[in-house]
Amino acid sequence: MSAFMKPHDAAGWATLLLAVIIILLGLPLVYMGAELAFLGGSLYYVACGLVVTAAGVLMAMGRPLGGLLYLGACAFTWLWALWEVGLDGWGLLPRVFGPTLLAVGVALCLPVLRRADHARATTVREVA
Amino acid sequence: MMSNKTMLRTMLLGATIIAGTAGVTALAQVPPADQPPGSGNATVAPGTPTPPTDAFSPPSPNAPQAPGVNAANIPDGPPAEPSEATPMVDQVTASPAHDDWPGYARDDRATRYSPLDQITPSNVSHLKRAFIYHTGSKPGPGQVNKWAAETTPIKVGDGLYMCSALNDMMRIDPATGKEVWHFHANEKYESIPYTAACKAVVYYTSSTVPEGEHCHHRILEATLDERLIEVDSEDGKVCEGFGWHGMVNLMKGMGESVPGFVAETAPPPIVNGAIITNQEILDGQRRWAPSGVIRGYDAETGRFLWAWDVNRPHEHGEPKEGEHYSRGTPNSWAAMIGDNALGLVYVPTGNSAADYYSAMRSPEENKVSSAVVAIDVKTGEPRWVFQTVHKDVWDYDIGSQPTLMDFTKPDGSSVPALIMPTKRGQTFVLDRRTGEPVLPVEERPAPSPGMVPGDTRAPTQPWSVGMPRLGFAPLKESDMWGMSPIDQLYCRLKYRRAHYVGEFTPPSIDKPWLEYPGYNGGSDWGSVAYDEKTGILIANWNNTPMYDQLVSRKKADKLGLMPVDDPNYKPGGGGAEGAGAMAETPYGIVVSPFWDEYTGMMCNRPPYGMITAIDMHTQKVLWQHPLGSARANGPFGLPTHLPLTIGTPNNGGPVITAGGLIFVAATTDNMIHAFDIHTGREVWNDVLPGGGQATPMTYEYKGKQYVAIMAGGHHFMMTPVTDDLVVYALDNVN
Repeated sequence: MSAFMKPHDAAGWATLLLAVIIILLGLPLVYMGAELAFLGGSLYYVACGLVVTAAGVLMAMGRPLGGLLYLGACAFTWLWALWEVGLDGWGLLPRVFGPTLLAVGVALCLPVLRRADHARATTVREVA
Repeated sequence: MMSNKTMLRTMLLGATIIAGTAGVTALAQVPPADQPPGSGNATVAPGTPTPPTDAFSPPSPNAPQAPGVNAANIPDGPPAEPSEATPMVDQVTASPAHDDWPGYARDDRATRYSPLDQITPSNVSHLKRAFIYHTGSKPGPGQVNKWAAETTPIKVGDGLYMCSALNDMMRIDPATGKEVWHFHANEKYESIPYTAACKAVVYYTSSTVPEGEHCHHRILEATLDERLIEVDSEDGKVCEGFGWHGMVNLMKGMGESVPGFVAETAPPPIVNGAIITNQEILDGQRRWAPSGVIRGYDAETGRFLWAWDVNRPHEHGEPKEGEHYSRGTPNSWAAMIGDNALGLVYVPTGNSAADYYSAMRSPEENKVSSAVVAIDVKTGEPRWVFQTVHKDVWDYDIGSQPTLMDFTKPDGSSVPALIMPTKRGQTFVLDRRTGEPVLPVEERPAPSPGMVPGDTRAPTQPWSVGMPRLGFAPLKESDMWGMSPIDQLYCRLKYRRAHYVGEFTPPSIDKPWLEYPGYNGGSDWGSVAYDEKTGILIANWNNTPMYDQLVSRKKADKLGLMPVDDPNYKPGGGGAEGAGAMAETPYGIVVSPFWDEYTGMMCNRPPYGMITAIDMHTQKVLWQHPLGSARANGPFGLPTHLPLTIGTPNNGGPVITAGGLIFVAATTDNMIHAFDIHTGREVWNDVLPGGGQATPMTYEYKGKQYVAIMAGGHHFMMTPVTDDLVVYALDNVN
C-alpha cells in the first residue's frame, strides 16, 4: 500500500497537485536557506522550508496535519514578515503574497484531506 | 558545479513561475550583463598579482590612426601653439528670449527653467500631441542596437534645431515639424561608441561675419566620429570659414585609436569665443586608452587654442609630430558649462582608463579624476579642482552638467555658486570662483586599504552634508526583494555571497562586491533643473546597485573580454559599462546589475527611481517620491500594464516652467510626466512611442507653448528605440 493518497476526483487531484507544488517550493527554501544561514543570514528560510516541505509531504499522504502545518507556517510567515518589514506594502509583497495565495488553496483542500484521512481510517478499520 | 548551477536555475525558475503567476508584481527591468564568476575566482595568491599577460598584444600608441577614425579625412597640418580666441559677441543663451530654448539646458547657467506659463497644472490635461518629427536615425537591419539619441532640441526664433543620434543636423518648423533643412553628417555605424547619442546642437552668433551674410548665425555640433561641424542656421550648409570646409578633426593628436573608441556626445560650450571639447573614451578597454584631454578651439575659425592634458600639465599646445596627448587620463563626457565673466569652463571629469583598478594612475590623474575642474578658457590652465571621489574605482565619473546659481548665505551675501550633482547622490555646492564648498563638505572615513594587492583605497571620501542626499541608507539583507520568498531568498543569498561594507566597498577578486549607489547614479547625465525665482531644485535620480567582480587576466581572457581595438573584438560584445578587459592591468572587470538574473528583476526593493524637490534657501526636501510606473516592465521582461508608481530607473533630466510644472520623461515606463512643482503631484502623463531617455524642452511659437521630447529610447535601459521627436501643445489654444 502506497503512503500517498490516491485521488478519485478533481478535488483530490487538485490537492495532490497543490501538495507537489508546496514540496517544490519548500525544497529550494531548504537548499538555499541552509546556505544563507551558513553565511550568517536569516534563519527563517531554512526553518520555514523544512516545515513547508514536511507539510507538502504530509498533504500528499492525505494527512490533514499537512494542511494545518502549512497554514501554521503561513501564519508564522506573516508574523515574521511584519517583524522584518512592518506594514510596508512593497516589503510584504514577496514575503506573504505567494504563501497566502497558497494558504487559501490549502484551506480549500482541508475537507479533501479530512475525507482522505477518514477513508484511510475506515480502510484500516476494515482491514483490522 | 555546473549541474549544481543548472539544478538551482531550474528549481528557481520553476518555483518562481509557480509562485509568481498570480502575483501582482511589477518590476523595473534592468539591462542584461554577464554575471560575476563568484567565489573560486581568486586564482591569484594575495600579494602576487598576475603580470599583465594580455592574450592580445596592444598596438603602439604611436601607430598611425586606422582609416575611418578621422572620418572626414581632414588634413592634420602642423602642430599648433596655444593662442587666444576671436572676441565673442553676446550669445543667445546669455539672456534667452522669453519664447526660446536656445541651448541644451536653455541658458548659460544650465537651469533647465523656462519662463513660459501658458501650460499650468489646471489646463495641462489639454496637452495633446501637436506633431511627431522623424530624425531618420535608428538601427538598420542586422545592426546591434546601440541607439539612445538622448537629444534635446533647441529653439531660437523661427527655428527648432536638433541632431539625430548619428549626428545629422536639422532645422524644423516649430509649429508643424516640417523639415526646413537637413545636414547629412554621413557617419558610419562603426563610429558609434557605447551609445549613438547626440544630446544637443549649439547656436553660435559670429562676431566677424556681418548680419545677413552666410554663417552669421551658426549651428555647431560635436560628433561621434570626433568632428566639430558648423553650418549656417538658415540653409544648413557648412561654414567654409570654420576649420577645413566647416569641420575640425578632433582626432588630431589622439594617437592610435579605432572608430568608436573616442566620441563626442555632449554639446560643447562656447565660453568667451572658445569652443571647449571633452570626449567620451569607451570604459573598461585598456589602461592606455586614448587621452581624456580637454581642448579649446576658436568658435569663429575652428583654430586650435589650447589643450589641458593631465599628464603634460604645463604644455598647452598640440603634441609634437609623432607624439600624442597623454593616454589613459581621466575622460570627461558630461555636458560642461562655462562662466563668461570669470572666463572659466567647468569640466565634470570621469575616471582614468581602466575604471576599477587605480594602482597605475599618476598623482596628477589622482588629483583630477571624478572632480569638477575649472579651466581658464584663455590659457587652458586649471584654476581650481574639487574632487567628488578620491581614487575612484567604482565608475563614479560625473555624468551631470553643473548648474550655476547665486547662493544667498545666511548673512545675506550672495556667492556665485555651482551645483554639482553626482552619481553618488551627493550634491556639492561650490563657490564657482574658487571651488571652495559653499555648503559644508566633510571628509568621512571610507573602507581602506581595500582588497586588491598593491592598490590601496583612499582613507576618506567627501560627503556634502549640507545638501539632502539623493539616495537611501546602505542595503540590508532584509532589503532584498522578489516576487516570491524563493527569488527573494536568492537575492538574500547574492547579498551574503558578496563583500559589502556600505558605500565605497572596495573592489574584490575572491568574490563579487556590491556597489551601492551604482554607476547609473544617483544623478547621471540628466542633471538637475533650478528655478532661480523660487529657489526650487528638481532632481530625478536612480537607486540601482551593481554587482561587480575583478577577474584575473587569465579568467578575463577565458571570458573573452577584449578591448575595442582588438582585431577580434565584436561590436556589442564586451562593451563598456558591462564586463571589460581593462587590458594592460592585472585584472579584467565583470559588472552586472544587482539583480535576479533569472527573473530580470532588481534584487533590492523598489523604488529604483525617484524625483526630489529641494528648497535651495533652506536645503530642505520639499517633496520626494518614486518616479515611473510598472506598466512597461515586469518579471522576465514582460510588461505588467499596471499603473502602479513603483519608481523605475531613469535617464534624462527635468524641466521647470513658470507655469508651475515639471516635465520629465526618463523612466523605463516610456512615459512623459508632468508634476505640479509645489505639491509633487503627477498632473499629466502620456505614453511615448519609444523610451523617453532624454531631457524635454519647452518653447513658445506664435502664441502657443509647446513641449518637446525625443522618444529615442535607450539600448541599455531596454526601452524601445525610435527616431521620433514628439511635440505637445494645448488643444484648446489657437
